[in-house]
Amino acid sequence: MLVVSRRAGESVVIGDNITVSVLEVRGDVVRIGIDAPRSVAVHREELLAQLAQSNQEAASPPEGAVDSLLKGIRDRSKDA
Amino acid sequence: MTGTPEIPVIELVQPMPGFPELARFALVRVDDTGALCSLTSLDQPGLRFLVVPPATFFPDYAPEVEDTILTDLGSSSVDDLVMLCVLTAGESLASTTANLAAPVVLDIATHRAVQVVLDDPQLSVTTPLIA
Repeated sequence: MLVVSRRAGESVVIGDNITVSVLEVRGDVVRIGIDAPRSVAVHREELLAQLAQSNQEAASPPEGAVDSLLKGIRDRSKDA
Repeated sequence: MTGTPEIPVIELVQPMPGFPELARFALVRVDDTGALCSLTSLDQPGLRFLVVPPATFFPDYAPEVEDTILTDLGSSSVDDLVMLCVLTAGESLASTTANLAAPVVLDIATHRAVQVVLDDPQLSVTTPLIA
């Protein structure tokens, strides 16, 4: 991993068209600005981890759960 | 309530987080109205995700989809886009949650889809299906 020290207002450039700037440092919070082409997805790491976990929990539900869910949806549309 | 089509082969233009290997799915109706569907993997037998059109349960849910998504999906019109939310089935409807933070956006003309990461702190990956 490349490690560089930057002050607020300074940046690093990645490749031809990605710039990561340190906007503000306050206590243990660093505000970062990322300038990248719209085709480059930029996400907070913990959000992606949360999504991966959510997808894994959602995958292949047991048949019993599917049946009761289906019944619940039918009852609900009857009420509607 | 009707309108979710069955599509035999869907190509994910980016893999779903947590499932980096899987690119091809079928959209299958679990009930005959299409109120509940599944995205069934064509690469890994037995793997599927339950999905619902959000309008049934979340009538106010209408996140903005960026233009780059349309490009990625090869879409010619936003009218071809269908949004589906992944469900985590609980014991009952009351304990079932929907992922509103990352809906699957599907183009019914190009048969391409992607799970869009919205990065909106207001939206939860585990939103109760019924309030």
